[in-house]
Amino acid sequence: MTDRELLLLMLSGDEDAFTTLYRRRQGPVYRFALQMTGSVAIAEDVTQEVFMALLLKTAKYEASRGSLASFLYGIARNLVLRRIEKTAEVEDYAGPEDLLDDLTRRETVEQVRRAVLSLPAVYREAVVLCDLQDTSYEEAALVLDCPIGTVRSRLSRGRSILAQKLAVRSSVC
Amino acid sequence: MLKALADHDRNREAPAVVELRLRTAFRRRYSRRRWPYLAIAAAIVLLIGMRPKVQTMEIAVVTPRVPVLPAVKAAPRKVVHRKQPKEVTTPFFSLMDDAPPFERGELLRVSVPASAMRSVGLPVSEERLDDMVQADVLVGEEGLPRAIRFVNRP
Repeated sequence: MTDRELLLLMLSGDEDAFTTLYRRRQGPVYRFALQMTGSVAIAEDVTQEVFMALLLKTAKYEASRGSLASFLYGIARNLVLRRIEKTAEVEDYAGPEDLLDDLTRRETVEQVRRAVLSLPAVYREAVVLCDLQDTSYEEAALVLDCPIGTVRSRLSRGRSILAQKLAVRSSVC
Repeated sequence: MLKALADHDRNREAPAVVELRLRTAFRRRYSRRRWPYLAIAAAIVLLIGMRPKVQTMEIAVVTPRVPVLPAVKAAPRKVVHRKQPKEVTTPFFSLMDDAPPFERGELLRVSVPASAMRSVGLPVSEERLDDMVQADVLVGEEGLPRAIRFVNRP
């Protein structure tokens, strides 16, 4: 069943349709918020607020303007940016403890995460969407409400800042 | 390097308690919206029930002739009182940190993934995280899920 079909069923009060839609789309929304803020608590709140918004303002979604996934990313983005503005510094990231994880790999992952979190928000959202979430440039342009060319340039700038930061860190280590 | 981070996060998802809160909100929203329709449906049923009967049908009842057999004295039945298995519930776990004082609300029975139990600190083995379990959610008058308890139905 497509997102649109599920949405229509959801609007008629079908809880199973809502649950299916939520389970299908919550992962990317949660990861986007997590990678943008580095906070598990904020990611959880944002995910909840995004789907509450879907529940309360579904009429605002226009299928002709893009996919439901882009629409949800768009809401998540607004919420995340508001949170970032409110909390000047990003909270410490609390990842799951997995003792079997290779320590070196984990260090690398956490270094990259910190580097991504330290990017200015305009570059960070381009990197998170295109490089971490595998979103197409077209979809990212819809979510970020800018031309595709701008997405490309922000992504390029974000990647080069990241490369510099990570090079400095590895040379310090 | 970005790929390492993307791979690491690929399977991360919102905790089950988020789904629980949203489903509770969904029920609240749509049960409210259903009320006028239910009222209309009830009114229609009442109207139909009160409508005077215009047509009546006469049905002839024919009793078949069956030979009468001598009565056999049945052995007294032993009445066995079976005890209904009782539900076992956990205590309530709060779902809100800074909740306004609770005055009135209702209890909703929902089906949630077992991972919701883990999110309130109850032990659940890895292989059972996706199993569905029954839970009672206490929803405040304002529509917010206040607390949850898990139910074991034998």
